[in-house]
Amino acid sequence: MKINITLYFLIFITTALLLISAGKKYYSPTPVSFTVPKGFPAPNNIFLKNKLTEEGFELGKKMFYDTRLSKDGEVSCGSCHQQFAAFATYDHDLSHGINNSFSNRNAPALINLAWMKEWHWDGGINHLEMQPLSPLSAANEMGEKLDTVILKLKADTAYRRMFKAAFGDANITTERMLKAFAQFTGSLVSADSKYDKVKRGEAVFILPEQKGYEIFKANCNGCHKEPLFTDNSFRNNGIALNRFNDVGRQTISQDKKDSLKFKVPTLRNVALTLPYMHDGQINSLENVINHYTDLDTNLMNLDPLLTKKINFTDKEKRQLVLFLYTLTDTSFTKNKRFAP
Amino acid sequence: MSKLFFVLLGMVIQGCCIAQKKQLSMPIGFENICKEEKSILNKNLVNAFAENYTITKFKYYISNVKFVTDKKTKNTPGVYLVDASKKNIISIIVPSKKINGISFLLGVDSILNCSGAQSGALDPLNDMFWTWNNGYIFFKVEGNSASSKADLHRIEHHIGGFKGSNKTMREIYLPINNPALLKQKTLVIQLDIDKYWNGINKIRIAETPVVALPGIQAKNAADNFAGMFSIKNNL
Repeated sequence: MKINITLYFLIFITTALLLISAGKKYYSPTPVSFTVPKGFPAPNNIFLKNKLTEEGFELGKKMFYDTRLSKDGEVSCGSCHQQFAAFATYDHDLSHGINNSFSNRNAPALINLAWMKEWHWDGGINHLEMQPLSPLSAANEMGEKLDTVILKLKADTAYRRMFKAAFGDANITTERMLKAFAQFTGSLVSADSKYDKVKRGEAVFILPEQKGYEIFKANCNGCHKEPLFTDNSFRNNGIALNRFNDVGRQTISQDKKDSLKFKVPTLRNVALTLPYMHDGQINSLENVINHYTDLDTNLMNLDPLLTKKINFTDKEKRQLVLFLYTLTDTSFTKNKRFAP
Repeated sequence: MSKLFFVLLGMVIQGCCIAQKKQLSMPIGFENICKEEKSILNKNLVNAFAENYTITKFKYYISNVKFVTDKKTKNTPGVYLVDASKKNIISIIVPSKKINGISFLLGVDSILNCSGAQSGALDPLNDMFWTWNNGYIFFKVEGNSASSKADLHRIEHHIGGFKGSNKTMREIYLPINNPALLKQKTLVIQLDIDKYWNGINKIRIAETPVVALPGIQAKNAADNFAGMFSIKNNL
């Protein structure tokens, strides 16, 4: 009896192993470990159910840069999220969609998305995987219907091959497409600027940068919290209602208290993400700082952290800008892994 | 060696099937009616406010379905998208205890609204997901009415929202007093769209032709959900 059980057990184990190895021949995506940079908080759990793999990442990247996914074949995600601009649209207040259309908001930089809980200026996106549905279908962005996007992917042999490599078979579904997108966008981590090197003891600030850092910590860190340089909250920073009547967070929450609140953007790579604010109305870092020093602190619904007058000398403003330059991470903007 | 394995594997699978068969299930059908009309799509309908209308699209989510007994019972897993243009039959587990009624959620719970990409009933391809303000549309009525002042006299009620006081998913409970109902081949749940307009809240097409985002209007509409449902009794 005992021998019998052992025999069955052995048969079971060997056949199980045989089956596993046979399966591997057809389906073996390469796992990629998601590294949390030193000093960063724990990211959200986007890769918990959506296992990050080399093949999934590559598929997400291919779709990200594929203009064919738009209605007229002219616009990709990468058209408005340019790597050299830290995945914002360089020097454009608004971005161009299909048929010479314009977006209503400034394309946000795609940086450290894995540490966010809500995406977009108004936080209308509640899971990173769901984000692509919005630009893919918006009439003033890529303007394509979801079922047509799926048909386009299915018609392409390269995509069938890549879906199979990433997910085990060539079945192309919304779920798999969105998971692959998230594997790429969630991997866009920037944590190797001069600031990071200083924090790790690999570099030192020059004096004006150091002074600028101290000014930053005393005046800006409340919202642009280190090390992500955003607290991911929604705040009214005193920008008036624009020509699109864009009330920001209120659109999502339907709560008047959220009128003109927008997501605090990260300041990482901020020197490259000009122009600034949700509609790109401020064209330089100097003028952003001027916006805060010249702000009418009695404005209705102004964020409580801004109701105290901020005063900087011209020299302090220059020092602050020099500090902000240290947040530029060229290993991110030039990383070949993120390039098409 | 491998032959023996497959024999063993076959036995295991068979064993599993037998174990599963022990759990009885019953088909539940969803019928969408309007008063005496047995179906609602592309019919000339009239509501309690003498507003003539037609419905061209009608879909809603059902989840957490279960028979209710004196003891706690488990939900039948899965989310179903009832679509008036199709036959809608789902299979739910029958508990061994005496059944008092059936309960389900119209909509999907908040976790499923923020769980990222999903397939099946929750695939965004079903056109029941808001891409700009994430969350599922739980209940969708589209059509036309001369009473509608919206563009092309359209009716477009996209009822959803899963947060705070304006959440729109609703727990529905329907008592089953006659045990003979459970002896039928299929237990049929009927939704009477007439009661959507004329429920606890009065929804006039002339006043509210379009609801396309979460908020107080959607919440008021959702308060009419429970009154729409009943168990069909054709014994």
